[in-house]
Amino acid sequence: MDKKRLTKILARADRREVAAMSAEILKTCRPVILKEPGKTLAMIKMREPVKQSLFYIGEVIVCEASVEIDGARGIAVLMGDDAEKTLDMAIIDAAVNKGLFEGESKLLELEREQNAEIMRENALFLKTMVNFESMDGEAPNDLNAFKKA
Amino acid sequence: MAYVAVSGGREAIEESIRLLDYHKSGTDKDIEIEAIENKLSLLVDRVMSEAGLYAKTYAALALKQCEGCVEEAVFLLRAYRSTLTRNYYTNEVDTEGMRIVRRVSAAFKDIVGGQILGATYDYTHRLIDFRIGEEIFEDARKNMQALLAAQTPEPVAPCPRVSDGLRKEGLLDVCAKNDQKPLDVTMNAPVFPAERSARLQTLARADTGFVSGLAYSSLRGFGQAHPTVGELRCGYAELCVPYLFDENESVYIGEILLTEVECFNAADDTDRLKLTAGYGAVFGRNENKAIAMAVLDRELDAGGRYPAQNEEFVLTHGDSLEMNGFISHLKLPHYVTFQSKLDAVRKTRGTEHE
Repeated sequence: MDKKRLTKILARADRREVAAMSAEILKTCRPVILKEPGKTLAMIKMREPVKQSLFYIGEVIVCEASVEIDGARGIAVLMGDDAEKTLDMAIIDAAVNKGLFEGESKLLELEREQNAEIMRENALFLKTMVNFESMDGEAPNDLNAFKKA
Repeated sequence: MAYVAVSGGREAIEESIRLLDYHKSGTDKDIEIEAIENKLSLLVDRVMSEAGLYAKTYAALALKQCEGCVEEAVFLLRAYRSTLTRNYYTNEVDTEGMRIVRRVSAAFKDIVGGQILGATYDYTHRLIDFRIGEEIFEDARKNMQALLAAQTPEPVAPCPRVSDGLRKEGLLDVCAKNDQKPLDVTMNAPVFPAERSARLQTLARADTGFVSGLAYSSLRGFGQAHPTVGELRCGYAELCVPYLFDENESVYIGEILLTEVECFNAADDTDRLKLTAGYGAVFGRNENKAIAMAVLDRELDAGGRYPAQNEEFVLTHGDSLEMNGFISHLKLPHYVTFQSKLDAVRKTRGTEHE
């Protein structure tokens, strides 16, 4: 599992789920905290479609932490200020890098639940999709109409 | 008149600050931060946008602290932000792939991906609903959760931009990707003519009322003709930062809600016409600001004699903190400078009243 997928599942998960996974790791090893969880900023870089250039829309508060398990380092960066969850995520990352993490099936289960939740929410939004009914049988093609206007 | 330094008022100031709580003490009821964050979310979005800081809970906290005053809340967030380091820059945010919650086009009725109204006040009756005063929010939440749980999941599909079709047809200019590092106006004040990145960042952070008013002036005739909203999209965009130990990996840090707009205008293209586009993007659900930003982006590209087309005018007068700070300072003691003005006026009027 790549880091983006791993961190996406963990970031979306309830902090108690993440804490439970971290607690499993702590049963067998003692991570060294290299960087205590603390707040910092991330600047958000966007690409606009008109001239295809880059700009910064603003910043977001993130919490970061770094740990080490038997020489394997792990980090976490998470939007918001949940220090405990960030530390737990760093521990999980270090365990993954050390090859000690055994919770992949749990991660996949969480991912399925998260995706289902997002898709249910998406269904709510899609219910507001407009079905246009033309009142003119000879309505012109939209794009062509716009060009003539 | 000699210059006389004065001091005083310390106790009065302390009492004045204490009195702020008096204005909040008219009820035993408190308003929870979570309630502000979720029930006044458009206000929270506005504060985050104008502060240039996406932090919902802190924006809600700031609003509670200052009795819902937008400019004070912006000030508080900016001040807090200045105490933090900035250790990360996100990867380029893919707004084309955003999880759409609302998307409309005023240019075409049939767009790939469809027109999704999402949640909007556009079609509501603007009549005060007095039942809200008696609403039991627990029930409202339970009802919505039940509604959500009853949905049949629908896969999330990214929607291509409306402007893509026009570019393919050659009606809109196609630009190559420009990877020039953006200017950061929080670190460097823009010089004029400003880089495009400075313009967009400044407008994204600008006061909603200022941006809207200027765009309105343009629509009323102090600028180009009526633009068309080619696409307004609101949705969740993923934020990722590079993974420290492997440059080929990235870390998902969360998602933010954004509103993005492209407006179209007709413009000369030597012996024929073409379309041009203006762009707006803001934190949260703040459609009018995003549309106004897109209008101003296009006005500034076009240039001209009106205020909305004057880059320095537009980009230096819309920052909430700066404008309100400057206006606010007018009420602070100006005893010496005003005395000087008074002396000058008196001199011109003779000495009969001395």
